[in-house]
Amino acid sequence: MPDEVLFAKHDDMDAAVENTAPESLSDKYLICLSDGLLYGIEANEVVEIITDHTITRLPRVPHYVRGIINLRGQIIPIIDMRLRLGKMPQEDNCIMVVNVESQLVGLLVDGVEKMVDIPRESILPMPTQNPQKLISGMCSLPEGTTMLILDCDLLLHG
Amino acid sequence: MGSGNDSILDMYLYETNTLLEQLDGILLAAEQADTFSQDNVNEIFRIMHTIKGSSAMMEFSSLMTVAHRIEDLFFIIRERTMDAVPEAMRPELFDMLFQAVDFFRGEIEKVENGEALSSSIDSIVDKINSLVDKIQGGGGAAAEAPAPAAAPPAEAAAPPAAEAPAAPAAPVPAPADAAYPFGIHVFFDEGSGMENLRAFMLVTAVREFTGEFICHPEGVEDDPSTADVIADQGFVVWFKTVKDRDQALLAAKSASSVRSYQPVDAAVKAPAAPAPEEHAALAPEAAKPAAPAPEEHAAPKAPAVGQQHAKESLISVNLSKLDQLMAVVSEIVISESMVTASPDLKGLRLDNFTKSARELRKLTDDLQDVSMSLRMVPVSSVFQKMNRIVRDMSKKLGRPARLVLIGEDTEVDKTIVDGISDPIMHIVRNSMDHGLEEHQEERIAAGKDPVGEIILSARHTGSEVIIEIKDDGRGADCQAILNKAIRQGLADPDREYSQKEILNFMMMPGFSTNTEVTEYSGRGVGLDVVKKNVADVGGTVTLTSELGKGMTTTLKIPLTMAIMDGMAVSVGDSIFTIPINNIRSSTKVTDKDIVHDPARGEMIKFLDNYYPIVRAKELFQMEEGHDDVADGIIIWLETGDRSYCLFVDELIGQQQIVVKPLPPYVNSFNVKSCGITGCSILGDGSISIILDVANLYSAAQDIF
Repeated sequence: MPDEVLFAKHDDMDAAVENTAPESLSDKYLICLSDGLLYGIEANEVVEIITDHTITRLPRVPHYVRGIINLRGQIIPIIDMRLRLGKMPQEDNCIMVVNVESQLVGLLVDGVEKMVDIPRESILPMPTQNPQKLISGMCSLPEGTTMLILDCDLLLHG
Repeated sequence: MGSGNDSILDMYLYETNTLLEQLDGILLAAEQADTFSQDNVNEIFRIMHTIKGSSAMMEFSSLMTVAHRIEDLFFIIRERTMDAVPEAMRPELFDMLFQAVDFFRGEIEKVENGEALSSSIDSIVDKINSLVDKIQGGGGAAAEAPAPAAAPPAEAAAPPAAEAPAAPAAPVPAPADAAYPFGIHVFFDEGSGMENLRAFMLVTAVREFTGEFICHPEGVEDDPSTADVIADQGFVVWFKTVKDRDQALLAAKSASSVRSYQPVDAAVKAPAAPAPEEHAALAPEAAKPAAPAPEEHAAPKAPAVGQQHAKESLISVNLSKLDQLMAVVSEIVISESMVTASPDLKGLRLDNFTKSARELRKLTDDLQDVSMSLRMVPVSSVFQKMNRIVRDMSKKLGRPARLVLIGEDTEVDKTIVDGISDPIMHIVRNSMDHGLEEHQEERIAAGKDPVGEIILSARHTGSEVIIEIKDDGRGADCQAILNKAIRQGLADPDREYSQKEILNFMMMPGFSTNTEVTEYSGRGVGLDVVKKNVADVGGTVTLTSELGKGMTTTLKIPLTMAIMDGMAVSVGDSIFTIPINNIRSSTKVTDKDIVHDPARGEMIKFLDNYYPIVRAKELFQMEEGHDDVADGIIIWLETGDRSYCLFVDELIGQQQIVVKPLPPYVNSFNVKSCGITGCSILGDGSISIILDVANLYSAAQDIF
């Protein structure tokens, strides 16, 4: 990701935050970590976070579909975020169960960081020259890190 | 199903109640829209057809007759579309239908309470007949003289009402004073009591709008005897102008306990009862839907509080609740083993705990069994119903026939049984009515057993339930079907059709090979319903027929959720389940038993035949698992016309499993085509993958 683009956006965003009216709309995001990058998922899409679940492998599916799990009688497919985004997989991880288009899907991530409140205005579009297809926007967090907003619909269909 | 009639009655009650509920829903929605969509018309037609058929079977003739008449009515509407019913008649049509639903409910209630059914159904039948006449005549009349029918749409409801005195049951009394020609005819809720006081309240409400009106009967406020007159004939308020009347209508609408009201006009030329004939010709027996009802409904109402013998013992439960139950139960089973095998208890001597834990284990096992069995019902309930149909029809039509049931105890998911009951009934009726030869001589001449035979069979294959209805009748005459299809505009006369395509015409709405409409079938409601209902549960219908030999209807229904006997096998650390009825045998073999072909394919010889070997590990591109044939085991599989061997690591054992569909996301990768049809949760919470033997082989062939 080109740094200069990020910084430019950062400045714009600061300006936007100052203009924000107090009653402006904001959404809660859950931040998770995958391969050193922070991804935000809308909190109301997240059903639960589980660790230490046995994944049953499925033959003949793309490699990033790690398999299925049994979550209290429901069968949920598991997508490995690292593999989905073309990174190397790792052993230590946890599963975020998200509700996408009324079906539950588990996302295998490195870890879940925290919940943040992000005003809608401060979410900026991805720079068009960036080819990353699964990200619908990005924004800066108070501590200076940047969160990429994950579009779960695209995750399933992309 | 030994208790014969009782369970049939239960089914009948349950089914009819469900249909009536459905009908109510359609009517309510349609009344809002003030029209029936073609789908609604078809649906009502089907409902009436089913009620007619099953009531006839139960010998509830009042229900049957009324349903039959309504079916006739909708037959016309279906042919001519809703346009055949002028706007003005629609409220009447809806009223009549609602009344009919109430009538059915009343009758069903009587059946439930073991009372005799009402024998006086003439008034409701008359009403339907008059509607039929009107609609039938309506098309022509409207064309010849559009003016009276269509010109004043605002008052459209009024003109037919003017002739209302022709209705025999409760004539609208003429206004006492000709200066008040515009009336509202009001009926109060049956049995509401004190009709005179209710009328008085209405009068008070009307007075707020206008002072100039007269009522019939008069003196409602101080003469209690008027209550009976009002209950019987309704209460009429007459106004001088239409405007007053329209305002008063609002009052009538909001007044309490008003069952029905409608504007009536005292026609200047024919104010009262005389001259019904001429007027009947113009607009036969007009809009008085509510009038005859009180007599008829008063009777069923009174004894309704009686005892409840034959109340249905079946309830319908939302399937999602059952799914939920299953999920919770499997969780309980797993948590239970987690508690009892908790590492914290290691090395402790806990006699009481162990005893209680054993008790708990037994109970959770029972719970699991019960909840699993909740969804599964044998098809026998549906199959048994057919016995009665075949018997009755065989008597009525004078065609000796017997019904052979095969695989009655095949268990099928509840949804599926619900979905296939109607279609099977239609098909069996069709077979009896059109399939079997009309005269025994024909059968004898054709060299067949004089007694016709219908075979109804059900069986499970790996992923489907197959239900076949086979008769040994005369079969379908393709040429006749094609001719009829061309006549009906379903087929293109210049095209060549294959036999299969021709048979498919029989499943189109409105197609029937029978020219005569009978109590049982005709009109072609059979097969299009069959197709629709089966499609609703995700299945398909195929017809095959040979002229002179009979006809077979095959319903293929997918196993959405079912308990299945499966053999669990392992490959590496994955567990797969193979449907037990696809397995012929399993053996240990060594390398020298394997025959290789030049294309690196492997085969094995069983009973003088060579069968290809599919290695699960290679097919599924798995990392773990045995490569040496001697380490694993060969399972000989068979499905339909295919037979082959699957090489896996180990047999784990036979078990009953609940089939769960895979998540849609996984299915979107088309795993079905490589032989994975679903999955199942094992006792310890792990997942096994269910294999479909037929697709597995196709997938293997694509690879090698």
